[in-house]
Amino acid sequence: MTHPLSPLAAALGRHSVRYVMIGISAANLYGPDGQAIFATEDIDLFLPLDADNLVAAWAACDETALELWSNNEPLDRPRDRFLAERVIERRALTRARGANQLIVDFTLVMKGFDFETVWNERREFLMDDVPVLAARLLHIVESKQATGREKDQLFLATHLDALQQLLKKSDLR
Amino acid sequence: MTDERLERVLRGLEKARQFAESYRFEISDEYRTLIAQVEALPRNQSGADKSGRWLGSLAEHKSWYRNVRLVPRKR
Repeated sequence: MTHPLSPLAAALGRHSVRYVMIGISAANLYGPDGQAIFATEDIDLFLPLDADNLVAAWAACDETALELWSNNEPLDRPRDRFLAERVIERRALTRARGANQLIVDFTLVMKGFDFETVWNERREFLMDDVPVLAARLLHIVESKQATGREKDQLFLATHLDALQQLLKKSDLR
Repeated sequence: MTDERLERVLRGLEKARQFAESYRFEISDEYRTLIAQVEALPRNQSGADKSGRWLGSLAEHKSWYRNVRLVPRKR
């Protein structure tokens, strides 16, 4: 059984897309196998302000039969460099939807960080033998704090507690 | 509920609201140390296999449940 994200991750790799997984889903990657610490609606992928890279990310979605949306509407066509530049100007989010309610958000903003800082310290994990690029846990947590939304404050308070519990387990040492 | 009791409850709710609005989580040294420990675990180094990880999304939940088969217990 493959992970729902694996086909997209493989396509992003084939298209040489630069991205890092951020947010709660990425924070969950650092936990023990078979367990999630926090539930989330979507998987967040942080992309640089690079139109060609964004076009390549969209192509990877097309290739894996994911529908692309922006502002609750299907993303316009043609999905070319011109459209990507407009999306980047607005720092707009592109949402990819797939089977089993897979939702992947391509975001151009990570509060408190520029892309290169996060990219340079990324971790490259494997999921079904496919490389999945993730931000450092520290960057994810610091960004959550910088955002300062109520739900992020709650995440941080409970995440701290979860890490304390995780590290108490002998199998993690 | 008496007026007096209702007043007390409303005052309590108002205090809770004020606390929630003013609360700001700060990343403590202890939290940073824990993050560093988790990041340093062998399973969290580049190249680690995360195939069995649940990212917490509904898609994974649905996908995995779809693949569960109930097998009758052997007697």
